[in-house]
Amino acid sequence: MRINAWCEKFTGKMSLWQILLLAICAFLLVGTASLSLGQIEIPVEHVLAFLCQQVNLPFYQDVALTPEQVAVLYYIRLPRTLVGFLVGAGLAASGAVMQAIFSNPLADPGIIGVSSGASFGAVVAIALGLTELSMFYMPFCAFTGALAGVCITVFLAMRQGKVPAMALLLSGVVVGMFLAAMTSGILTMIDNQKLQQYLFWTIGSLDYRRWDHVVLGIGPIAAGLILMFLMARQLNVLVLGDIEAKTVGMPVTAYRLVLLAVASMTTATGVCISGNIGFVGLVVPHMMRFLVGPDHYRLLPVSIVAGGTFLVLCDCLGRVISPPIEIRAGIMTAFLGTPYFLYLLRKNCRLNT
Amino acid sequence: MEYKVLAVQDLSVGYKDSMVLENICFSAQKGELVGIIGQNGAGKSTLLKALRGLLTPKRGVVYIEGEPISSFTDKQFARKAAYLQQQTAVSFGYRACDIVLAGRYPYLAWWQKEGKADMDIIEACMEYTGVWNLADTPFKLLSGGQQQRVLLAKVLAQQTPLLFLDEPATGLDIFYQEEIFRLCQELCSVGKTIFMVVHELSLAARFCSRLLLVGHKKLLADGAPALVLTEEHLQNAYKTKVKVVENPRTGHLEIFTEDMRVDERHSALQKIAKQMEGKKARGESVENKCMV
Repeated sequence: MRINAWCEKFTGKMSLWQILLLAICAFLLVGTASLSLGQIEIPVEHVLAFLCQQVNLPFYQDVALTPEQVAVLYYIRLPRTLVGFLVGAGLAASGAVMQAIFSNPLADPGIIGVSSGASFGAVVAIALGLTELSMFYMPFCAFTGALAGVCITVFLAMRQGKVPAMALLLSGVVVGMFLAAMTSGILTMIDNQKLQQYLFWTIGSLDYRRWDHVVLGIGPIAAGLILMFLMARQLNVLVLGDIEAKTVGMPVTAYRLVLLAVASMTTATGVCISGNIGFVGLVVPHMMRFLVGPDHYRLLPVSIVAGGTFLVLCDCLGRVISPPIEIRAGIMTAFLGTPYFLYLLRKNCRLNT
Repeated sequence: MEYKVLAVQDLSVGYKDSMVLENICFSAQKGELVGIIGQNGAGKSTLLKALRGLLTPKRGVVYIEGEPISSFTDKQFARKAAYLQQQTAVSFGYRACDIVLAGRYPYLAWWQKEGKADMDIIEACMEYTGVWNLADTPFKLLSGGQQQRVLLAKVLAQQTPLLFLDEPATGLDIFYQEEIFRLCQELCSVGKTIFMVVHELSLAARFCSRLLLVGHKKLLADGAPALVLTEEHLQNAYKTKVKVVENPRTGHLEIFTEDMRVDERHSALQKIAKQMEGKKARGESVENKCMV
């Protein structure tokens, strides 16, 4: 009996590796597809040849690539795919962390003022004409706005040095609405061309992403992911609620703020290099919880790979569905995410009754 | 010198402006099973929270093993005393063993993961409370009695000399109620000290080694169950007439309350009956109209 129970636990552990392996395979597949598909079709063999030749692997060295193919792959598709993976991974992990911090399955990185703050920062950058000076102003303003949004939210929710989850959630909604109103206010005052620019940014997308974006995003996002994973056990305890966490010796407020800061920074970085992309942070952790359970040691790594894969897949689908028009990744995530989320809700309702 | 596991000196606690308890003093030795009893809202849970450091006292000091609790860090405290709260809501599909594993938190540095030794401890604790076979079941799907025993295992996994249990047996059926008390009694016999809030006075009388009666913002009585559970004390605490009878066959104390407001209630009940009749009459007349 006891051996059985232990065996079950170990097979439980093994299935994590299997699922992780599966997710990585899926990512490699989707990644290759993302490199190969688009306005200029590049055969899979050439994509593999390009990758092998780039890192000097002894395969496909005899396949000749046209300079055009190399240029498309190197300057357009590779950074685009990498940005997609980074942003997707960051959003999914942040989503899982936010859901744990709030003990609320509906929490999402956007809910504590990150997205609305970023939008506000972006619209300020556009309205002031900073975007014409350098491409870095926009992400910088969005990032600043996102962090400001979070800080205001946390400040409003703070009571005697404590940050109750419910107060945080509510103040997030309020700050979000206020910032959205400010953004709309500015939008009504700027000219059409700038309006177009904002619209382009606010519907998150991966097109025209360059190596600059990869460089900009990789540091904060990678650091955020590692920190979140290191605090997986803390997350497991935090989910049990404030009193439970405090009585087993956790400084609840400190950890909540640290985790919130890490998740916000990761999300803000994602938003500033690719615009607002919804549903990844909400849907991916849920999907993965079904597969590997709620333990964050398992949930976080799987969510990271799955989130990245999901966003690259959405971008890829958006490119091939109706060429030559590209459907932006932020729209595709909503198209794919909404039905799945509805399915989840209905399934859960049935379980509860 | 005899050392006290827990000592409370001149403790006053309350919320905002209102005081709930004033000038409480007592101490407990190793191996005592102390039941805290009293009316609803008398401050039993408040006292327990103050002992566990979840409420900052307005005045006074709580000492655990001779040291004031304000000198402990969060983790140090969690290695001295464990606390079982009245209601635990667990979101997501955490399994029973995940919950118990949380009890190992105070022994791990922030970057450490639970190891084999921790697994052995939670296995032993869950086996003791009889829930090891449910280790992989989601907590939400367990029955009330099972959940409570899982939480008790979690508290045990903290390996603390002191346990604070807030109504661990309330809402459970008679078998599980007694089971919880029996577990506590055994744990005390191996050297733990347990403070628990209890509502069932007869059970408290049977299992606890000592009772604290809370009422009128103070400790009304403190001592062995037979000394605390007197008609005089209980009438004072529960503000009603109480009868304490020893059952001659079992030797257990049985406690009854006497009806205090019979007349007041009877007249109200008659009113209710009349109102129902009136409704019936009105309903019939409406039905008649519909027929026409």
